[in-house]
Amino acid sequence: MNRMKYVLASWTRVAGLTAVALLTLGPVIWTVSTSFRAPAESFDLPPRIIPGHATTEAYHQVFAQIDVWLLALNSTLVTALIAVGQMITAGLAGYAFARLEFRFKKPLFGLVLATMMVPVQVTIVPVFLLLKPMGLTDTLLGLIIPAWPTAFGTFLMRQYFLGMPKDLGEAALIDGAGPWRIFRSVYAPLATPGLAIIGVLAFNYHWNEFFRPLILETSTQNFTLPLGLVSLQGNLGTGSISVVLAGVVLSMIPAMAVFVIGQRPLREGITSAGVNR
Amino acid sequence: MTDSKFPRRALLRGASYGAGAAALAGVAASWDRLTAADVHGRDDHALVVATLGSAVDPAAQRALSDGFRALHPGLDVRLVPVQATDWSDFFAKILTQIAAGTAPDVVYVATEGVQLFAQRLGVALDDRVRRDKEELREYFADVHPSLVESMMFEGSLYQLPVEFNAADIYLNRAVLKRSRVEVPPPDWDRDDFTALLRTMKRGGGSGFTPYFWTNRLWGGVVPWLFANGTNVLAESKAPGGDWLWDTFYPPRDRRGRGGGYRWARPQATADRVEEVYEYLSSLIQDRLCSRPEGGSGTNLVGVFSTGRVGVTPAGGFWAGGLHTAGMRRDAYDVQYFPRWRTQRHQFGAAGYALLKTSKKQDEAWEFIKYSVRKDVLTQLFHANQTTPARRSMVHAARYEETGPKNWPVFYDTLDQFPATGPIPAPPQAAEVEQLLLKHTGTALADARGVRPALRHLQSDLEKAMERAT
Amino acid sequence: MTTPVLDRRPTPTSSATAPRRSLKDRGTRLLAALFLAPTLVGVLVFTVVPIVGSVVLSFFHWDVIGTPRFAGTDNYTQVFTDDTVLVSFTNTLIFMVFAVALQLLLALALALTLTNRMPSWLRSTFRSAFFFPLILSAASISVVMKYLFNQDFGVVNWLLGHVGIAPVPWLTSEHSAMAAVILVYVWQQFGFSFLLFVGGLNTIPKEIHEASSLDGASGLRKHLSITLPLLSPTLLVASVVGIINALQVFEQPYVLTDGGPGDATRTVVMVIYQSAFEQLRFGEASAIGVLLFVLIMAVTALQFRLSRRFVHYQ
Repeated sequence: MNRMKYVLASWTRVAGLTAVALLTLGPVIWTVSTSFRAPAESFDLPPRIIPGHATTEAYHQVFAQIDVWLLALNSTLVTALIAVGQMITAGLAGYAFARLEFRFKKPLFGLVLATMMVPVQVTIVPVFLLLKPMGLTDTLLGLIIPAWPTAFGTFLMRQYFLGMPKDLGEAALIDGAGPWRIFRSVYAPLATPGLAIIGVLAFNYHWNEFFRPLILETSTQNFTLPLGLVSLQGNLGTGSISVVLAGVVLSMIPAMAVFVIGQRPLREGITSAGVNR
Repeated sequence: MTDSKFPRRALLRGASYGAGAAALAGVAASWDRLTAADVHGRDDHALVVATLGSAVDPAAQRALSDGFRALHPGLDVRLVPVQATDWSDFFAKILTQIAAGTAPDVVYVATEGVQLFAQRLGVALDDRVRRDKEELREYFADVHPSLVESMMFEGSLYQLPVEFNAADIYLNRAVLKRSRVEVPPPDWDRDDFTALLRTMKRGGGSGFTPYFWTNRLWGGVVPWLFANGTNVLAESKAPGGDWLWDTFYPPRDRRGRGGGYRWARPQATADRVEEVYEYLSSLIQDRLCSRPEGGSGTNLVGVFSTGRVGVTPAGGFWAGGLHTAGMRRDAYDVQYFPRWRTQRHQFGAAGYALLKTSKKQDEAWEFIKYSVRKDVLTQLFHANQTTPARRSMVHAARYEETGPKNWPVFYDTLDQFPATGPIPAPPQAAEVEQLLLKHTGTALADARGVRPALRHLQSDLEKAMERAT
Repeated sequence: MTTPVLDRRPTPTSSATAPRRSLKDRGTRLLAALFLAPTLVGVLVFTVVPIVGSVVLSFFHWDVIGTPRFAGTDNYTQVFTDDTVLVSFTNTLIFMVFAVALQLLLALALALTLTNRMPSWLRSTFRSAFFFPLILSAASISVVMKYLFNQDFGVVNWLLGHVGIAPVPWLTSEHSAMAAVILVYVWQQFGFSFLLFVGGLNTIPKEIHEASSLDGASGLRKHLSITLPLLSPTLLVASVVGIINALQVFEQPYVLTDGGPGDATRTVVMVIYQSAFEQLRFGEASAIGVLLFVLIMAVTALQFRLSRRFVHYQ
């Protein structure tokens, strides 16, 4: 009896989740399938998932119009270095705020948190003025370095370390371990999943970032993918929608790969942290 | 259990050190890329020219700079394509650079920004034009005076027009055929236009809209205002400019020309303005046209080329756009905007402006002259992504592949209707534009919205024009 | 059946017995300084200095081109009497409330529905599907959404037509434009909260979770009363981040509606961008930025204050 009820319940669950997943992926599927359509078919109703005449013409156009490889290299360098940098700064600062005692902890944490609340549109001109004497305008480093301190990442890692059982550290303390040892051998190994989340999110966010690169980069050689893709929209928005979407699809492949790769440590870590309780 | 875990841990650690070392090596290898040390010409020697990156493909851009270098071997030029989706992104970039003291020497500016740049940042080209008048005679003879006049401010010339787009009417021929009607004649009027929409609507079915337009300054409500002989800001002309007209244009072209436009007093509540809004509102009520969406017209080419829309206002730039969208040359055509009280058209133009912060003004002027040469423009606009400012470039061969059949309309719009003028763009253009779009949105959002929205528009415009920028 | 499960509930923190004194020694402080240095230096240089700059700027008239002129509190008076600015604050708050509520509820419901009893391939498929929109750029996807939501030829109205709903002027009516912007935003963002909740639920001992889910619909209350408190730290993270992001929304309304019709979807960050880069009033833009900053701080502080009562750390 109970079992039947359970089976029924789980079918309802799967049905509900599937419905939401379809709604979520619908626009993405439309994007991908339109990028393989001849422009004349791109706005067909009912929208066809499998294009009547599949064509890769739009992708050839993308490669013909912009230097995809150089743009991708730049984007990869920028996002990878930002992601790694953020994992380091946020992991360290998050741990300090969660597990170390020092003066001005609360106001300092508040300060870091407050920086999350400033829209980039407000600070971009002063940041540009600061980067200039450092010789970092129109360089990729000028995009990377200011993105290293991450209020959100710090916040997330603090929550993450706070969620770990305190007894572990206290046990090590009683065994005579110093603060560095406690971090290094007790808590840091448990932090992988939290760091994975930060890495994945940093990658996603900065991979698609448009405004900062637009303002900071002037040489075509320093453009990132989102900047390059603008060319596909054509003069006054007259570019073919298939070509624009082909560019979007190409640019989402690496982000997708990062998510797929990042998923495993993310899941494993979370489960192991749960078991330790 | 710990025993079996240990070698795996060690292995993992080894692997992560390895990955770390590889990453470091990667960073070291790409150091030049990160610091842009490998980018040629980032020093101060080059003349810096900011262009609109989405308008011209990279190959054409290279041709532009290479050609200039070949012509002036001692002069390096660096093109900075601004990858902006609209003019405000473009300004954001230029302004940030001005604030940091790294402004370009030459900036591509469209009608929307002509007077702002002229008033605040630009250098008048008058002396240089006079000095090089023999060299430029051929250029001015090839460019319609209306375009030149739109680049003047208070008697002085600030830019040489490179391209322009007037708002003509594009028609989808498949839709015309289905409705059993022909392309309308050049002298059609507003009622013919309404009748055409009704005919199209009858056979259209759901998912079809006869008339579609985007709520923007260029090609939105403004062409209708012009056709009805009015404008949101009262229009007059600054005195002066004779030096130019007398030098380059024959008497018949000189008549009525002045020293550039002045847009001062808002007149949004004028009867004729209200008429225009009431007319558009009635089209919406009769489902002959959709409520105008804000933002860019990104999907517009797509819905037009697939026959979901019958007619829409656009300029020569659409010929290239429709061609890339896979529309055959005979699948569409173009005609003048219909007559109402007048058949005056609106246009937007663009060209290079010289910034007064530039320390290379002479070189910059050389570039500006170079940028309007016929051979250079021909290379640049090979894809018909815009209408060239030079009449001699608008010819049958240019539209052979892309269409439309009625291509002469693009330039004849200027010749046939000499009163045709630029969209209203005083130095406060950005604010005027924002207010116009905003209140147009509310005016047309429901049937009784027109009057209150126009009253609001009027008072907001008055405030905006009073405030100094 | 439920009794042993409840016994396993983690006891409140044992910190009372911890030797706290030794956590405060010099080694700890040095370590803290080292750990915080990268973040604090970065924050100081790239955020605090620019913010101070823009606070200062908010007392000046500056059009970038000329030199700044002292304005006193002019910019603030201007901002407080400007209808567009005031409306944009209201819009942003309305947007925040609905977007965050919808985002959290949807994410929470989905995370609770996704049980460990499901085959792991299915779970990871759902997880990836829900997260997917996050890897797209907001600006590009908004271009797509603008077409899908078009009144006359959009797919959304086409689908609604099948269930007998007349075409909705999604993006061109003052009543529905905000709804469309919220839907597009939530569509892209809920996957993030969802992941956080799944992570949070995984840290709750399995037995509690599954026992309550076995009880079915009748046990929903119990389920919530047991699971929610344990999930409260995650809920705090998700809502704090959700609110901060929502208050800075820009791309979606910018592309979908350009703030219209009228001012119906104009948000604060849009107004900041427009007054700075379109109207060249950097002083005024800074003043609005400062006000937005204060608003976000106030909301976040309120949340943390409330969280002391409702959030339980294990």
